[in-house]
Amino acid sequence: MLESFIVPLLAATVQSGTPILYATLGEILTEKGGILNLGVEGMMSMAAFVAFAVAYTTGNPWLAFICGGLAGTVMAMLHGFVCITCLGNQVVSGLALTILGVGLCNFLGTPFIGLAAPGFSKFAVPVLSSIPYLGKIFFRQDALVYFCYFIPFIFMIFMNRTRLGIAITAVGEKPGAAAAAGLKAVKLRWMALLGGGFLIGLGGAYLSLAYTHLWANGLAGGRGWIAVALVIFAFWRPGRAVFGAYLFGGVMAFQLRLQAIGTHIPSSLLLMLPYALTILVLIFSAVRGRGGNAPSHLGINIEPEG
Amino acid sequence: MKGPQDLTRPDSQKATGFADAAPLISLKGITKRFGKVVANKDISLDLYPGRIKALLGENGAGKSTLMNMLAGRFKPDEGYIEVDGVRKEFTSSKDAIKAGIGMVYQHFMLVETMTVAENVLLGQEGSFFINPREMNDRVRKLAVDYELEIDPTARISDLSMGEKQRVEILKLLYRESRVLIFDEPTAVLTPREAFRLFEALWAMTRLGKSVVFISHKLEEVMAIADEVAILRRGAIDDEVMRDKITSKADLACRMVGKEVLLEVTKEDVEIGEKVLEVKNMTGIGLRGINLHVRKGEVVAIVGVAGNGQQELVEGVSGLRKPPKDTIFIMNKPWRKFFAEMTWNNSMSYIPEDRLDLATARNLDLVDNLLLTTGKGFTKGPFLQRDKAAKVAQELVEEYDVRPGRIQALAWQLSGGNLQKMVLARELYRQPHLIVAEQPTQGLDISATEEVWNKLLEARKMAGILLITGDLGEAVQLADRVAVMYCGQIMDEFPVTDTAKLDNIGLLMAGVRE
Ligand SMILES: Nc1ncnc2c1ncn2[C@@H]1O[C@H](COP(=O)(O)OP(=O)(O)O)[C@@H](O)[C@H]1O
Ligand SMILES: [Mg+2]
Repeated sequence: MLESFIVPLLAATVQSGTPILYATLGEILTEKGGILNLGVEGMMSMAAFVAFAVAYTTGNPWLAFICGGLAGTVMAMLHGFVCITCLGNQVVSGLALTILGVGLCNFLGTPFIGLAAPGFSKFAVPVLSSIPYLGKIFFRQDALVYFCYFIPFIFMIFMNRTRLGIAITAVGEKPGAAAAAGLKAVKLRWMALLGGGFLIGLGGAYLSLAYTHLWANGLAGGRGWIAVALVIFAFWRPGRAVFGAYLFGGVMAFQLRLQAIGTHIPSSLLLMLPYALTILVLIFSAVRGRGGNAPSHLGINIEPEG
Repeated sequence: MKGPQDLTRPDSQKATGFADAAPLISLKGITKRFGKVVANKDISLDLYPGRIKALLGENGAGKSTLMNMLAGRFKPDEGYIEVDGVRKEFTSSKDAIKAGIGMVYQHFMLVETMTVAENVLLGQEGSFFINPREMNDRVRKLAVDYELEIDPTARISDLSMGEKQRVEILKLLYRESRVLIFDEPTAVLTPREAFRLFEALWAMTRLGKSVVFISHKLEEVMAIADEVAILRRGAIDDEVMRDKITSKADLACRMVGKEVLLEVTKEDVEIGEKVLEVKNMTGIGLRGINLHVRKGEVVAIVGVAGNGQQELVEGVSGLRKPPKDTIFIMNKPWRKFFAEMTWNNSMSYIPEDRLDLATARNLDLVDNLLLTTGKGFTKGPFLQRDKAAKVAQELVEEYDVRPGRIQALAWQLSGGNLQKMVLARELYRQPHLIVAEQPTQGLDISATEEVWNKLLEARKMAGILLITGDLGEAVQLADRVAVMYCGQIMDEFPVTDTAKLDNIGLLMAGVRE
């Protein structure tokens, strides 16, 4: 049971949690700067498509991965133009971005359906992969998963130990205070938004480069929304985001496996599992009353002063 | 608690050696407009090293606006700023900070979730990575050097107001600001904390820094200032050295100003029954208040802001519950009056805060009319909005509210037009008692005249309780004047008693002969 079911399940958990983790960290960075971006689903979709198209045409998966990130940045730019430059409503703009991204990805992606592109494959890390159980779970993955192990640490150091990270936090909490301290509040918001967009884009790229190597429409499959919910569950902290992302990765992997084994539970109920968990997780966060952890100026635009 | 006398600066605290230094900062002909409101009009001001300049003026006089421009937050529409005799343009706070100018804002600019040290170092240039231990040590040392003890690792949200202010001061000191601006710094402090602040300010002048101290509290200005500039209606009204001010009363007179800007003719109207009676009211910050207003009368409450006027208004207008059996409106006890209050033939309140209390800024004039008169425009469960629109249009025309469109939103109106609209609405209710709080603050002469005339006309139906910081307004409108100081009424006398009127500064400063 342990060898044949649990270990492979946990290994699959890590893999399916990875894109969610990229996206959640990206959204945390965005929100830390004070911008609410509900376009994650659309951004991941577009990034997955761009990454696939680049990999298909150039055959270079690393270039494709970076281009996926840049696709996220470009989508974030649209959001920034509406919300930061034109002071538009962040919720509406984010929703529009999702609809745009998902729609455009399906439209552009249709000719590619069923095609395969070179991507990342799994390889075992010497030494580490021979640790019993853990080796199989964590160290027989693809390069992007290994890369992702470092990101939460870098993220934590960035937010707490660098001037830029603290300045971004200040802008999300109280842009007026940041401006009075001589910071360029608007510029910092742009940086957080674009940086976050890049990470979200990497999450999307993972889906078409490593999670599967075949193109199919609707690859994001709700992961963007889960990431948005996870930010709240994580109380805007990267450590908890890791936990949350793998939790969801686990549920997704589990429901796939159950379907594969062929239980008599209807598959639509199983497909529902991640979203039922999303609701549970949000209730849990609300009950713990830590919504107060949100950056105080989250979702509020910076109005120019006299 | 320290008495006001104790606030004076001991000789040991005097800054010396800056006697004939050149000005650090010169403001030259600064004008600033917000839409149609002229917040500052052609202001010129010099700040010298080693001296404390007090900016004294009523709320809305334009003190904060002026200093916000010096701190780089706003840009002046006209005029410019010189630092060390060199003309500078500030495009953001950053430029002002670079020029050595720092400001402690009226509402603190601190990030509540961050630590003291993080706040102090926020926006400072330096290495990409920070070392928290070193950062804390640096802030701790700075705090010790200036005797502003504070734990650098404490979170701002855990600090008291006095401590938060100390963090703000540390921010300025860390940046080695040469000009320190304090916007009403004592408003949030206990008297003990206020005295500690004064000591800190004196210490800074001894280091040759130039301090600007914004206040409307006379004692403090008397105690701390080397020079006093008085702002009224956006312009510098008077600028004196502290030595030339003989007493608090003298300062009070200078602040309220006595020159007649405007005169209106006041016809006699018939005096009717009592519409407001305050009997021996003690509580909610007031002591032993006795007062009455009869129909046809204007009773003016004058005094320096913050001496209990607000509490009195809140009590009378129903915003705050007064002690039992102290306030009677139209011969009914307070509780009964407000329980039975009707939309018309009752009481009208014209608040000082036009844009957020008197009106809803994002609603149009019809909806703003309905705010207090809604019950007059209902038919069963339905609101007769078209009827209200017609009335609003009539009022707009009658009171000459510009632009004459009832679709305009409240915030789009200039202060004077908005006030006329509020007045139109409140008088439409045919009140028997009107509470008017600073009704012409921030208005230009012509709007002031119109408001005064309307209020005088309203005496035919109502008694008026007028709260004002402008003595000229009291003299023009009132039949009787009551002077408030520290929650008490110092004296009450007919406006015709010129002897008392001449001594009103003493009363406002809390001195009884
Ligand atoms: N940001 C702003 N937008 C519009 N009007 C403003 C703004 N700031 C101040 N004002 C107006 O300018 C005038 C002066 O205000 P302020 O400088 O805050 O006065 P003070 O600090 O002396 O109480 C007031 O009439 C106020 O309503
Ligand atoms: Mg002010």
